[in-house]
Order: sequence, then structure tokens, then C-alpha cells
Amino acid sequence: MLALTLSGVEVRFPGLDSPALRISELTLPAGGRMSVSGPSGSGKSTLVNVITGLERPTSGQVIWNGTDIAALSEAARDSWRGANIGLVMQDFHLFPGLSALDNVLLPARLARVADRAMVARAGELLAEVGLTRPGQGVETMSRGEMQRVAVARALLRRPGVIVADEPTASLDAANGAAIGALLIGLAEETGATLIVVSHDPGLIARLPRRLTLAGGLVQHNEEAA
Amino acid sequence: MLRFILADLGRMKAGAVVVILLVALAVALGTSVTLQERALRLGSARAADKFDLVIGAPGSETQLVLSTVFLQPAALPLLAGDVLADLQHDPRVAWAAPVGFGDFYRGHPVIGTTTQLVTETTTGFAEGAIFAAEGEAVVGAMVGLAVGDRITPTHGEIGHGHDDVQYRVTGRLHPTGTPWDRAILVPIQAVWHVHGMDTGHDHDEDHAHDHAGDGHEAGHADEDHDHDEDHGGFDAERPLDEHWHEGEIPGVPAILVKPATIADAYKLRQDYRGNEATQAVFPAEVLTSLYGTLGDARQVLAAIAGAAQALVAMALLLLVMSHIGQRRRQIGALRALGAPRGSIFALVWTELFALIACGVLLGLVGGYLAAQMLSAEIARRQGFALPVEFSGSDVAGLAVLLVISALLAMLPAWTAYRQSPVASLRG
Repeated sequence: MLALTLSGVEVRFPGLDSPALRISELTLPAGGRMSVSGPSGSGKSTLVNVITGLERPTSGQVIWNGTDIAALSEAARDSWRGANIGLVMQDFHLFPGLSALDNVLLPARLARVADRAMVARAGELLAEVGLTRPGQGVETMSRGEMQRVAVARALLRRPGVIVADEPTASLDAANGAAIGALLIGLAEETGATLIVVSHDPGLIARLPRRLTLAGGLVQHNEEAA
Repeated sequence: MLRFILADLGRMKAGAVVVILLVALAVALGTSVTLQERALRLGSARAADKFDLVIGAPGSETQLVLSTVFLQPAALPLLAGDVLADLQHDPRVAWAAPVGFGDFYRGHPVIGTTTQLVTETTTGFAEGAIFAAEGEAVVGAMVGLAVGDRITPTHGEIGHGHDDVQYRVTGRLHPTGTPWDRAILVPIQAVWHVHGMDTGHDHDEDHAHDHAGDGHEAGHADEDHDHDEDHGGFDAERPLDEHWHEGEIPGVPAILVKPATIADAYKLRQDYRGNEATQAVFPAEVLTSLYGTLGDARQVLAAIAGAAQALVAMALLLLVMSHIGQRRRQIGALRALGAPRGSIFALVWTELFALIACGVLLGLVGGYLAAQMLSAEIARRQGFALPVEFSGSDVAGLAVLLVISALLAMLPAWTAYRQSPVASLRG
């Protein structure tokens, strides 16, 4: 539900001549679905870091619905990210020793926003992603199941944006396809803006907007027919 | 959050246990040194509690105290018996009683004294009653004898036996927590007679050796002297006579004096210190000067314990910092998922502080138990109670220790707080 506008964004790292990322103008409407692809080192991770507020660009604006998160303090970005971004990562980052339900609730609990309603929602979300045992310890789950837990966790606080960084890369084809479908289905259902970094042609094909990066620059930016 | 911490600790059980044990060991070391030193001080102060003023022949003050209060065997020079008579008639004296050593029964000192000393310095009888005749004895709580038992003392711990002398146990005292619990108490006149010293009451007896008041040593170390005395004066049935008259009293190694007032105590010490025939000491004062020396030893031990604690703290910090490094990804992921930095700080801090606090408490218990065991062992051997007690200063010490650990735990927490979530994820 959030619209993204990047303008004049440049990320430079000390000791490197060329910027890791340079995007003079990029927009994605609220509820848009975009894939980001490109070879490694092309700036995909940097783009994810910048649009989620994990990293501040060297210069430029990162505007989500009027808020320039590049101008926020680190603590403010943390809190903004927690409230607005649902993040799904390649290697899940689940915490062993906790149940699926506790994993889904952990970031909300650490941010002290988990109330009774949220606990109930966590249970519903787990059911929605196809897990029937919320009390199961995550260390006993298959990789496909783990990523489902991670998807449920990303959606818990009804984020306006879902950002998935290679969500299917560490899964087999069948599980990858299922997770891809799940992400797109949930984004459609909630109306969330969806940004997926992926190499997976099957997943890319299902997203209307395609951004391709190379050497930190936008190579293709096209809307599929 | 608590569940997350528990799950986290559960995943690194071995490390957590090592941290707790390290801390516990260091704390236990410091605790036991402190407690044991205090126990020694309290214990000996209690042992000396009833001994207000001790008068003996000139010699080592420390030895006089160690021999009378702690019953440490030593050859003490004898004091002229008339001193005892003088003291008994002195208005500044509440009571005065002789203490005569030299004989033993199976490692237990046999002490000659008076009924008054027994009554005044003990808390009464667990069984039986006080001696009423020359051949009767009262045993301390830690002597393995029963009322009715008969014993024959030896002169010195491994000396010759006084074969024709026999005491019958008539009473058993309540424990006093002092070395006197290991003693066998007999009438002083029995000791005199066993050693052939003339008390002036038995003029009908023919004494080959008249030792009265001649400075002859009652200690056990004088094995070279001629022991052909006939124990002739000893008569197990003779009734007690504790009223002595000047000129009729044999020598004694020490006299315990209970002054009437504190002022009298100082006057008496002045009087009996100022001449060539006697010395007078306050055992408490002698012990205080001994503690001075002991205090230095304690400081050395405390410094060693402190250094061990600092060493453990450094090792711990090293361990935890490298551990935080290993957890960069996890911490970064939590941040990326929207956990605020404050929570990360609290998480790392709580985890570490919980471990340290566990270790500190375990160490306190461990140190306490170690001190208890040591005290029990000393009590078993020396018969003198070393009370292991916590005091107010320990609470302050504990608070300081916990505050330091809390501050220490902040360092890795701060490192985690400062970590950039991006760098963490890439790592």
C-alpha cells in the first residue's frame, strides 16, 4: 500500500571509485509488484538495504508515501521498518529453540507491540501459509516449512511493503514455486507493495514489473504486458 | 523475550555452564577467604571471651595466652603459689583460679583447676556433676568419655604414665565452642599431688621431693627431669579444699582472674605487670595483635582472589566479545526484522548478566560451604568452633560485585547495539 520514489540515490563505499548503486529516478506505485534481478555485485542487495532503511544512501531521497526514510535517524528507521516492511530472506533467519509461533512473534515482541490480537493473528497466518502445528520447534522443520514461517513473520504487522530477498534460492523447485505463489497471493490479498529480488525465472515471470541492475545502474525497467 | 533468552542459552549450554563455573570459582575463592578469616577471628575471640586477665610467670605473653585459652601444650615457667592467695584476697578480684597443665589422657589435656572456674566459664553440665574429691574429673563436650569412666593420665602427651593415679569422670559439660571442650578438668590439688607438690595440708606425708613453689616446670617438655616422685600426695578420696593459705601453695603456670570492674582489670594488670615475678596480660589484647599479623595474610589472600576475579572477568569479556562477533548475523537479522536497537542491547546484556549473576550466587554458596567444611575440620581437630557467618559488609561486597558485572555486561551489549544491521547480514 506504500508507493516508492527514489530520486538521485547514490551509494558509495569507501575505497571504491564507482558507486555501488546509482538510481536517478525510480517509482513504484502503491500495491505494485516488482522483481529485481541482475548478476551478483550488480547492486541488488544494496537496493534492498536502501529501500528498507537498513542502509542510508550516500546521497538522494528514498520516499515511501511522502516519508524520506534516508533522512530518518537509525532508531527511527528501525521503528519505521518494523511497522512498514515485511522482510523475507534467503536463509530464513529463524531462531532455533523457539516454536514456529514464537518465531513469528519474536520481532513484534522485541519491539514491544505484540498484543493478544497479534498473537491470534500469528496463529491465523501460520494456518494461512499451510502450517498446522504452530507449537512445533523450527529446528525440526523442513526448509520449505521454515520459509513459510518466515513469510508468516513478515506479514504479522500488516506491512505496506513486502520485500523478499531471494526467497526461493535455497529451496527445491516445488517448494520454491509454492513460496512464490504464497508471497504473490498474500500481497494481492493484503494489497501490499511487493518487491522480490530473484534469479528464479518462474517467480520473475509472475511479477508484472521487472527491474534489472548491472554494475549498480538500472539496465532494464519494464512493465510486462 | 525471556523465552528467546532461554532458548538462546539452551543452544549454547556448554558455553553457558563454563561461564557460570568460571565466575563461581573466582567468587568462591574470594568468599571463602573472607569468611574463613572472619571465622577465625570470631572463633578465637569467643574462645578468649571468659579470659579477662591471665597472670603467669614472666615469659612470652603470646605463649601464655595460647596455653591458657587454646590449651596449646608448652612448658610454661611456674608462678609462686602465694600470688594465688594474694589474688583471692584482693577486693578488686571477683574470683581467681589456677590453671595447671602438663598431663594428658589420649591426646586430651588434663587441666587442674577449681570448681569456681568450671562453674564460671561453662554453661553447665550435660550429664553428671562437678568434681568433689581429688580423684574426680569433669570432661569437656568433645572428650569421648562417659560419666563413670576411669582414666589414668600420662605426664606429657607421650610421657610416662602416672600409673597409680586414677580419675573417675563425674560430669560432662555442655559444649562451649572453645578448645576447652577437648579438655579433662580435674581439681588443681590433684595435679599438685600427682606431681608431688606440697599443698601444706598433708604434713603427715613424707615427701622425698619437695617441689613447692620452686619454679619447677609443669610443662610436658621436661622429660629430662627426674620422675621418681611417688605420687605420694595423691589420694583419690580426699575431699576438695579450695581455701589456700599463703606459704602453703605450690606453683602454678597460670592464674585466670576475673576482675571486679574494668578499672580494676587495668589496675591489676598494672600491678602484676610491674614486678619481676609475674606478668599479666589481657588475652583479647594479645589476640588483637595476632590478628594484625593475620590481617596482613588475609590481605595477600584477598589480593590473590581479587586478581583471580579480574582474570576471569577479562577471559569472560574476551569470550563474550568473540561470541557477539559470531552472532552478528543473528543480531543483524533481528534488526532487519524490525527489532529496535534498545531491545538488542537489553537482550545481550540480560543474557550475560544472568549468567554472571548465577555464577556469583553459586560462588557465594560454594565459598560458604568450603568455609564451613574447613571450620568443621578445624573444630574436629582443635575442638574450637569457627563460626562461618555472613555480615553486612558481605552484602555491600556482593552489591559491588553485581554492579561491576552489570557494567561489564554492558560492553558486549553496546557492541551489539552499535553493529550495523547491514554489515551483520552480509557477514
